[in-house]
Amino acid sequence: MGEPNQLSRRNFMQTAIWGIGGFIGLGYAVAAIAYVVKPSLKTQQTQTWMRIGPTSKVELGIPTLFSFNIETQTGWISNTQEVSVYILSNDGRTYIAMSNICTHLGCHIRWIDQQEQFACPCHNGVFDKLGNVVSGPPPRPLDRYDVKVENDQLYVLVGG
Amino acid sequence: MIAKLTHWLDERTSIRQVWEAIFLRKVPKVNWWFTLGSASLFLALNQGITGILLTLYYVPTPDHAYDSVQYITTQVPLGWLVRGLHHWGASLMIVVVVIHMLRVIIFGAYKFPREVTWFTGVILLLVVIGFGFTGYLLPWDQKSFWATTVGTRIAGTPPLIGDYLLRIIRGGSEITAVTLVRFFGVHVWVLPTLLILLIGIHLYLVIKNGISALPQRGK
Repeated sequence: MGEPNQLSRRNFMQTAIWGIGGFIGLGYAVAAIAYVVKPSLKTQQTQTWMRIGPTSKVELGIPTLFSFNIETQTGWISNTQEVSVYILSNDGRTYIAMSNICTHLGCHIRWIDQQEQFACPCHNGVFDKLGNVVSGPPPRPLDRYDVKVENDQLYVLVGG
Repeated sequence: MIAKLTHWLDERTSIRQVWEAIFLRKVPKVNWWFTLGSASLFLALNQGITGILLTLYYVPTPDHAYDSVQYITTQVPLGWLVRGLHHWGASLMIVVVVIHMLRVIIFGAYKFPREVTWFTGVILLLVVIGFGFTGYLLPWDQKSFWATTVGTRIAGTPPLIGDYLLRIIRGGSEITAVTLVRFFGVHVWVLPTLLILLIGIHLYLVIKNGISALPQRGK
């Protein structure tokens, strides 16, 4: 007894409670953030060359739609997802592959034969034959896939 | 700065008075057995936090329940920890709550004027057991399926109403998708609502009446 303590029992307990409580709280917070955020940032899968069909299907000068299925793993569910690309060739030797997803907000674009343009039904985005923006809100040209030809079969590089 | 803010808040809400009533109230000299209520509250908080996190991935259908639980346990970062905390916290909850009740019985803390605290505590015990019963089915593995088969059969044993009771709990005569989703609904909506309400009343009364002192010989 006698001399006053620098750190009273009350203050010690208070500091201990806040300290330990804070530590436990931090533990929950870190776990929760990792648990919620990390799986969302996982990328789909590795890149692969998908065979999409014969070159003979492509009409010269007209974007031709090819559809194919890719295997996807979302969470605990394995699924197949249909992917479509427009293939354009002007000379029958070089090919370009364009995504059919509008660069504005992700709707599916369609090739309109009469107008020789791609049109997006959602907000009237219009792209030309090569995927460049003609009018409407899209901020950039259509995305492209790497494409290659082997034994008259077209391949596009998907995933990643 | 912080002092200014608390003053601003206090002027409008009397938050300091509330804080003092809750955390700086006078308590008699007691022992470690008197910490079990706080321990139960902490465990309840743990179950709430980890339970909410589990629902972000868990899907209560026969197609996905088992796989989504496996996904949480093996794929999601720290998913094993979140599920583990919920799983072991659940068992610990039952243990702690029961010891808490025994302490109240042995020390006679349920007596006047604390009867209503005791009543809410008894209902809280039933709610906690309900949590355990409904939560057990959700992983949808062999153990949970058969445990629920047995558990609901037991509910079916009373004469006259037994069969109705069994069917109402199962949502039909068998344990199916209907059973799983109603157990899930009860586990995450009905029981938590009851729990929060009852804990509110329970704690209000604990603070209002003060906690009981240790019983003494000749008093």
